[in-house]
Amino acid sequence: MKVTKINKAKISQICRILKNGGLVIMPTETVYGAFVDATNPKAVEKLNQYKKRPFGKPYSVAVSDQKMAERYVFLNETAKNLYQNFLPGPLTVISKSKGKVAKGVESETGTLGIRIPDYKLVIDVIKKYGKPLTATSANQSYKKTPYKVSDILENISEKQKGLIDIIIDAGTLPPNKPSTVIDTTGDDALVLRRGDVEIKDKKEFLSKSEKETEELAKEIWSKFKKFEGQRAIIFALEGKMGAGKTIFTKGLAKTLGVKEEIVSPTYDLLIEYQTQEKVSLVHIDTWRMMEPSEIEEVKLKDKISDHSVIAIEWADKVEEIIRKYNEEAIVIWVKIEYTNKENQRKIFWGML
Amino acid sequence: MKKYILSIDTSCDETAAAITLDTKVIASKVWSQASLHAKFGGVYPSLAKRKHEERIDFVINQTLKKAKLEIKDISAIAVTVGPGLAPALEVGIQKAKELSLAFKKPLFAVNHVEAHLLSPLIGKSFEEIKQHFPALGLVVSGGNTQLIFAKEPGKYKIIAETIDDALGEALDKGARALGLGYPGGPVLEKIAEEFKVNKNLKNPLPLPFVGQEKLRKFSYSGLKTALVRLIEKIKKEKGILKKEDIISLAYFYQERAFNHIERMVLFILKNQKEKPKSLLVGGGVIANNNLRKKLRKIAKSNNLKLIFPPHKKYCGDNAAMIGVALAINLKERSAKDVNPQKIDRIPRLKLTESKIY
Repeated sequence: MKVTKINKAKISQICRILKNGGLVIMPTETVYGAFVDATNPKAVEKLNQYKKRPFGKPYSVAVSDQKMAERYVFLNETAKNLYQNFLPGPLTVISKSKGKVAKGVESETGTLGIRIPDYKLVIDVIKKYGKPLTATSANQSYKKTPYKVSDILENISEKQKGLIDIIIDAGTLPPNKPSTVIDTTGDDALVLRRGDVEIKDKKEFLSKSEKETEELAKEIWSKFKKFEGQRAIIFALEGKMGAGKTIFTKGLAKTLGVKEEIVSPTYDLLIEYQTQEKVSLVHIDTWRMMEPSEIEEVKLKDKISDHSVIAIEWADKVEEIIRKYNEEAIVIWVKIEYTNKENQRKIFWGML
Repeated sequence: MKKYILSIDTSCDETAAAITLDTKVIASKVWSQASLHAKFGGVYPSLAKRKHEERIDFVINQTLKKAKLEIKDISAIAVTVGPGLAPALEVGIQKAKELSLAFKKPLFAVNHVEAHLLSPLIGKSFEEIKQHFPALGLVVSGGNTQLIFAKEPGKYKIIAETIDDALGEALDKGARALGLGYPGGPVLEKIAEEFKVNKNLKNPLPLPFVGQEKLRKFSYSGLKTALVRLIEKIKKEKGILKKEDIISLAYFYQERAFNHIERMVLFILKNQKEKPKSLLVGGGVIANNNLRKKLRKIAKSNNLKLIFPPHKKYCGDNAAMIGVALAINLKERSAKDVNPQKIDRIPRLKLTESKIY
């Protein structure tokens, strides 16, 4: 292990060490980081030993620019937005990996976190080296966040010290927080179907207020009430964020005599309410779901066999699954659109 | 003999275990699926469940190791039974039940929101804790936005809660609308830091339920809708959202979301008959420095003791707060253990349903 002052650090020497699978500790704009060649399995294994990292825990990697990032991950619109506006900087942006880094660097689900450090030495090294480096804090997992070299050395064993090839010492770093980790892959799930869902006997309604949207829910319900308890009735709700899908469900709940407040089911995924009628109202939100099949995980099938009234928000994400139940259940597709007027919405509805 | 509690929480994305002694944390481990590069924009039930199953033994063992204890040294087990994601809760409960039966340790059920509410009391002596009640409690996280009046530990009244989105959820959705990814709270905070406060710039977003605080309700859907519409308008005019637009909207949105909390807390303090001695705040969103600043101001002007969790790691989901909530309930109201054969998850458990003890 060698300790070199930052003003004496030689980029070519650091690159040589990295090329030989070495472990380099360098300062960044956040904390001291442990860097190895993220494409070299042996180097990553060495880093695992050094960090005493539990199984399955991935590493972020540092690249020099967006172009280099794009060799290793797929950048979607959100990711591009972040790269173009906020990097370099203390953000780690997670995207879908192209599988070109060593095993154990990307996550089990095939994503990779990337960072562009706002620190000249590190960027110069990566530029010269031409490959991404792991960008993990230089402490052992679960130990003190390292702002100075002694934070690292005082908390590791002699054996761990032996694994370090070189430390670049820049003294005590300013107390900046570790980078903020941002996942952009959730947005891939939001790629909705193109074009309209085909609905039979399509009707149109212009709602001028939340109250009118609630009233419409009541009115539609009155047409299907006769099937209550005999078949499940699904209200498949489509509409942009804030369009009024929950408002529609609130209207439905009122007419069914639900006493509780209808709240967003985004976090719970599914909330079931007792009604004054024979059946319960099941409120499902697919916003956080990545794949259509996940709606089956909340036991949609059981709710259908219970003949519940089911409201599904972001139904367009799970259209294929809803279609599967089209025979067994009555599916009413409701699409809510913004108009130019603030409180006004265009609502289309009909049978799937 | 020292009465160590082993606590387990798997209510959402984090697999957490802790060892506590009264209100002291001996060891606390959280394995977060959110910092794991898992697919966490969507913590979907089957993945969350599987990940919890894979990690729970490891996390419990690490916790015991850190505390230099073995299961036989533990005097009770505490586990979160709700509220939370049903399949996720199940994993922690199953493990707690197994350990309770195998090692013959009494098992206690804990309410996750109560634990957030009491998390500011971690590390405090029981005498001191007594002095902080009656208290006003604020719990703000991804799934919860509640103002609570706590006459004493275990005696709660919900004063205000959300009628649509929770605060953390509103931040997630706002960040998504601004093209900033997940989780929303920390990202918005980071981006909003770049905003240069300018008194001449008016906040273009509406204050939720302004003047209607007497309804005692939080609502974030109107603010969210206003943001979406404003973004669409800017995009129509300029073609894209520029960096400075993103920064200012992140700032203004966050500001409004917190103003709503601020106004409600002030209203309650003004109209609450029984004056609280302290303001206890917990939950993931409390890690936000901007919100903290606003609450400090309120506490100061109302001569109220403001208590945050002793460390930011106890703001987000963790198991230390579960153990401490049990310790406080054991001390103050002799909480009863449950039959491990009968313990079950209660995904929509309410704070006021205290029958779990």
